[in-house]
Amino acid sequence: MPLLKSTAITLKSRKWGEADRIVTFYTLRYGKLRGVARGARRIKSRFGSALEPFVYCDLNLFEKHNDPLYRITQVDIRETFPQLREDLALMSAAARMVNLVSAVTAEGDPSPGIFETLAGGLRSLQDNNDPLLTTLLFQIRLLGQTGFRPVTDHCAACGKEFPAPHPPLSPWGERREVRGAQFSPVSGGVVCSPCGSRRPDRCLPLSAGSLAFLQQALHLPASLLTRLRATGQVRAEVEAAIESYVTVVAGKRLPPVDFLAAEGKEPVYGLTRSPQVSL
Amino acid sequence: MGVDQQSLLFRLIRELVRLPGIGQKTAQRLAFHLLKAEREEALRLAEAIQAVKEGVTFCRRCRNIAEGELCEFCLDPKRDQTKILVVEEPSTLYAIERSGGYRGLYHVLLGALSPLDGIGPADIHAQDLLDRLKEGETQEVIVATNPTIEGEATAIYLTKVMKPYGVRVSRIAYGIPVGMDIEYADEVTLIKSIEGRRDL
Repeated sequence: MPLLKSTAITLKSRKWGEADRIVTFYTLRYGKLRGVARGARRIKSRFGSALEPFVYCDLNLFEKHNDPLYRITQVDIRETFPQLREDLALMSAAARMVNLVSAVTAEGDPSPGIFETLAGGLRSLQDNNDPLLTTLLFQIRLLGQTGFRPVTDHCAACGKEFPAPHPPLSPWGERREVRGAQFSPVSGGVVCSPCGSRRPDRCLPLSAGSLAFLQQALHLPASLLTRLRATGQVRAEVEAAIESYVTVVAGKRLPPVDFLAAEGKEPVYGLTRSPQVSL
Repeated sequence: MGVDQQSLLFRLIRELVRLPGIGQKTAQRLAFHLLKAEREEALRLAEAIQAVKEGVTFCRRCRNIAEGELCEFCLDPKRDQTKILVVEEPSTLYAIERSGGYRGLYHVLLGALSPLDGIGPADIHAQDLLDRLKEGETQEVIVATNPTIEGEATAIYLTKVMKPYGVRVSRIAYGIPVGMDIEYADEVTLIKSIEGRRDL
């Protein structure tokens, strides 16, 4: 019955049985894991609010033989991100962050990069006044840390290298331009014009500005990321591309980032063939 | 010795195991108790379950469970008709009612908003509450949703949509449970209880 200790961020918490909760965490040392907190819903529970989503905490749990669920023994709060509980827009944005982490990670596969990106994303939401842009940047960065990194420097379908700009447009030397580029969610990135027109799945238009934004969001150091801005066409194109890609990667449509604004509306982007795509 | 999986007794155990809080051993104990009980006693239980499934529905007005068109609280003229206390589930309503500290009306949402699961206002009975406010008799709405992310999202949303109706909207207090040592309270509860302090 080994004891595990790690810092963690709560992703989800659902009711279980009479007064228990099953909680999903993303931990620094063990990656995503799920545990049972006995009596967590009782008024005098020792867990209190520590098992609520978006809480950054120190977690103690132990493993039970032949049981995939850990037993949660102690949770000490480090950060609660209180503003995320007081504003629906921030709450929805934070929900997308934890939902995406939950969708793209496997249990027991730690990645300190993903942990730091999630913690940084939740902190940025509190400090930033544009939750939709913060969430967009978070999603691009998170996908960039996983095997689902969007391809932006060569065609995701035929593999042809996009020509390097002359002179280089970015001090990071990564920005490459291509005429008639499109974003193919199923291919996992930008495709050249001939490949885009041949693909059976729906490709989304991507202007040169949108491609540059995507490349910079992937390559900029995290400390400079908050300087990135996107408005108008660039923002709409990148949002549509990433939303469609996230749907493909997650295998289902995640709850919308603008939770209440999207109420009753059909998404304007997405796949034309099938709402569920198996990977 | 295990129970034959095709037997009638196994069928009963299998059905009992589906109930919340009932494990295999408890289900087996209950099944054997029913087997040993008088025929009338066991059939009374079966009839009660059937009657509840056929006769109990949701109140047309407040969405609490009811045996007619309206529930017992909506039918009671002695209750304060100017106050509505909003809860997520009927079980919360009965917990509040047991306390004896509230004599107004109720509204049961039968759910809560969840940005994490994509449960929106159309999935709960929020519109029914707004329709009640249009009748004009209500002066105060007390939001008693759970202090969870879902409950908070619901409270924020309801506060926003009820504002144009000009009624007083209040939220139940957060704080330290009675009989608990303050030193064991978590940070969020402590902060909320200090923020929500009242004059003595």
